[in-house]
Amino acid sequence: MSGHGASGSKGLGTRAVQALALGVTFGMLYVATRLTPELEGELGAVAGVGFLLLAGTLMSELLETIGLPHLSGYLLAGIIGGPDVFKLVDHHTVNQLSPVNTLALALIALAGGVELKLSTLRQVAKSLTYAMVVQSLIVGVVMTLAMFVLGRFVPSFSNLATGPMLGVALLWGVLSITRSPSACMGILSQTRAKGPVATFALAFIMSSDIVVVVLVAAVMMLARPLINGSGGFSLHDVQDLGHELLGSIAFGTTLGLALAAYLKLVGRGLLLVLLAIGFVLSDFLRYVKVDATLAFMVAGFVVQNLTAQGPKLLHAIEQTGGIVFVVFFANAGAHLNVPLLQKFWQIALTLCVLRGLATYAAARLSSHLADDDAITRRWSWSSLVSQAGLALGLSITIGNAFPAVGEGFRALAIAAVAINEMIGPVLFKLALDRAGETRREEAEISRTSLLPPAEI
Amino acid sequence: MSGGVTLLLGLLVVAFVSSMLVGGRTIRGFGLPSGAEYLVLGVGVGPHGLGILPRSTVHAFAPVFVCAAAWLAFVIGLGYLIVGRRRVHVTRAVTGIVTATLVGAGVAAALFFALHALGVLSGFPRLALALASGFVGCETTRHTVRWVAERHGAQGKLSDWLADMARASALVPVLGLGALFAFVPDSPLGAFAAGWRVGAGAGIGTVMGLVAAVLLGREFRRDESWGILLGTSLLAAGVAMRLGLAAVATLFVMGLTLSLVSRHRLEIKFMVQGTEKPVLLPVALVAGACVDFDALPHIWALVAVALAARLLAEVVRGLLLVALVPAARPAGPRIGLGMASTGAISLALAYTLTVRLPGPASSAVLLLAAAGVLLGELIGPAELRHALERAGETHAVQAENEMEPLSLPSSALRASDYPDPQRRSDFPEGP
Repeated sequence: MSGHGASGSKGLGTRAVQALALGVTFGMLYVATRLTPELEGELGAVAGVGFLLLAGTLMSELLETIGLPHLSGYLLAGIIGGPDVFKLVDHHTVNQLSPVNTLALALIALAGGVELKLSTLRQVAKSLTYAMVVQSLIVGVVMTLAMFVLGRFVPSFSNLATGPMLGVALLWGVLSITRSPSACMGILSQTRAKGPVATFALAFIMSSDIVVVVLVAAVMMLARPLINGSGGFSLHDVQDLGHELLGSIAFGTTLGLALAAYLKLVGRGLLLVLLAIGFVLSDFLRYVKVDATLAFMVAGFVVQNLTAQGPKLLHAIEQTGGIVFVVFFANAGAHLNVPLLQKFWQIALTLCVLRGLATYAAARLSSHLADDDAITRRWSWSSLVSQAGLALGLSITIGNAFPAVGEGFRALAIAAVAINEMIGPVLFKLALDRAGETRREEAEISRTSLLPPAEI
Repeated sequence: MSGGVTLLLGLLVVAFVSSMLVGGRTIRGFGLPSGAEYLVLGVGVGPHGLGILPRSTVHAFAPVFVCAAAWLAFVIGLGYLIVGRRRVHVTRAVTGIVTATLVGAGVAAALFFALHALGVLSGFPRLALALASGFVGCETTRHTVRWVAERHGAQGKLSDWLADMARASALVPVLGLGALFAFVPDSPLGAFAAGWRVGAGAGIGTVMGLVAAVLLGREFRRDESWGILLGTSLLAAGVAMRLGLAAVATLFVMGLTLSLVSRHRLEIKFMVQGTEKPVLLPVALVAGACVDFDALPHIWALVAVALAARLLAEVVRGLLLVALVPAARPAGPRIGLGMASTGAISLALAYTLTVRLPGPASSAVLLLAAAGVLLGELIGPAELRHALERAGETHAVQAENEMEPLSLPSSALRASDYPDPQRRSDFPEGP
């Protein structure tokens, strides 16, 4: 994501140097943490960030030699150095880096919005509509049924009666239709892929955010009487949902216009503007109960499609995001709960396989209905496997809303998302390579540098 | 909004404004060479002023500011041996280091005896306060020489001497504080001798400098370079902090190593030097907010002793320069006072000390450093200008035309090898 060189341009010597540097990186922090095991917290956080950034960058470079995406390298560095394996980065540090996650998600949403050109959306509107409906229906229904059947094997759900189990299954079904905008943007940013698969992935995943928000709210209304055995449909929930959606769009439009005006009139210090948006505005939006992801996406969309400042904003985001995204994904790897994955891996893997199959079948059907070209028909499913922050965020929301089943639901979701998080990006990059949409020469030329703060 | 967010937002605004000020469109020479105005602003918004920045909030973000201070040391280490495109002259560098050490020793001795006479502190804290104050107050900020040169078009042998000496003087406070940190009681590396601890700090810097040099060595790409530089420097600073070592000294060594062994030293230097002022100004502001006027009894007497000792030591330095350097003779012994300006490194080191060793002694060091910066700002540039005028190295026409500092001589502009002529900021070294 930070835009590293293609593997072809780097020989064995370079890789050996990178492997050695990676060993030094691990070794230095290993020695420091073993010499001062009692010191965690703030002092560990600085070294932790440095480690995640450096180890993530080097690991991604090394994994590139076997065709894996950079994102997998960042994740793997985080997993190995994280609290469950070598403990170089402790839980406190992982939690302390949550502002980086907020910033990264804001940048990803903004970049996603900027990438959504109205002309492109018009081109893929038919495919998008069919895919949205068919994917939501098939994946949602299949995964609801799967959880309803397999839920009996999950310790937390084994004693549930049919009604609550159906409620849990419905929630799982809707959770399964979430995708990962961050993984999608990460792969596209690295590969600079251009073509029908990349276009479809970007348009679908970014716009599905709105659908997911609506569906989750609707399903939670449905599941509440089933799981809690009381309550029913409330117009208040619909009102809240409407407020959130309309508020996000209104705020995003305003922000987009303000950003465009700033870009046109000032045009400097964009790094600091993006940091302020990521750190401060995200918190503010959460406070006023507006969906930050949707709002930032709309802002990016407005800048791209209603003004001429889109390329400038995208350039600034790429410059800022290069380093932020490495830390974000490496931290996501460190955040991965390995013991929980060990505990639930069989059931989680089964659910992931079923979700993958359902996604594939739905993609084939929707492509057939929309009369897509052969490449889209063959590979469009690949980008829809990844799950990450959005799914985890929703699982926490669902867990909090349904405390009776929340803990088990969240644990299973974390395990399943972990698998999808690791496999999804690999599949997507593989598909882009096979579809011939990744062009290394262009990536080499067009990758932008991360300029220092004073230069942006 | 929480205090932390408010602080970050405020610092972002400061950094934003400062990045605007140092941008290519601003007037050259705008602002003070030491960044003293931000120090004063910090005092104004700190607990002793308006109270907008409470100490607890600043302390919560202390590791971030220590990292920022360490980054400054990295930038200084990276450009330590280079002025513009040329290498620093060895004789001048040695002179700078030796005279800075003498100045530091003079201030430290004066303070030690004053502390003894006033009965303030005892044992290690007394010694640490005296030594640390001597170390942090002995450098000459390289920006003063450049600032005067740019505003008054100074060029010549003496200007080069002073530029090289100022640059070299940074080594003394950085390594001095690095050594002092190693002697601090209850260090996380208490099982090792102090010599090993000093070596550990330098070793971490050297290893990470080599790692960065090797990773950047084969092909220089700015996009990769930022990830590698930030990753290695944060890791080095974080490990040093974790082990109770001076992160600033470690990163200085890292920068120095990188500049010694990397074939891309100039590209890297120009790449990172633009970050110096946007990082320095928030650090100066936070250092100002942390200044404690009630750190010790008789603190103002100690401040007076330290400042008087510094001025006296500078005059001695001037005498030495006049005696040893032919180019300095026309300028007279007051040229030493022109070297009295301290800046970024003083504040950064003093602030780092307050974080590593919180207490009245380190608070006093910060206050003394702040007072030194202000005094240096009042005396240094003016004395330097007069000294260079006496040496015949300023251009009279340009000296009269102070309101238009854009009139930098073309030869000085050519000396700057900053790659983009549109982006000549305050920082690519002209002289």
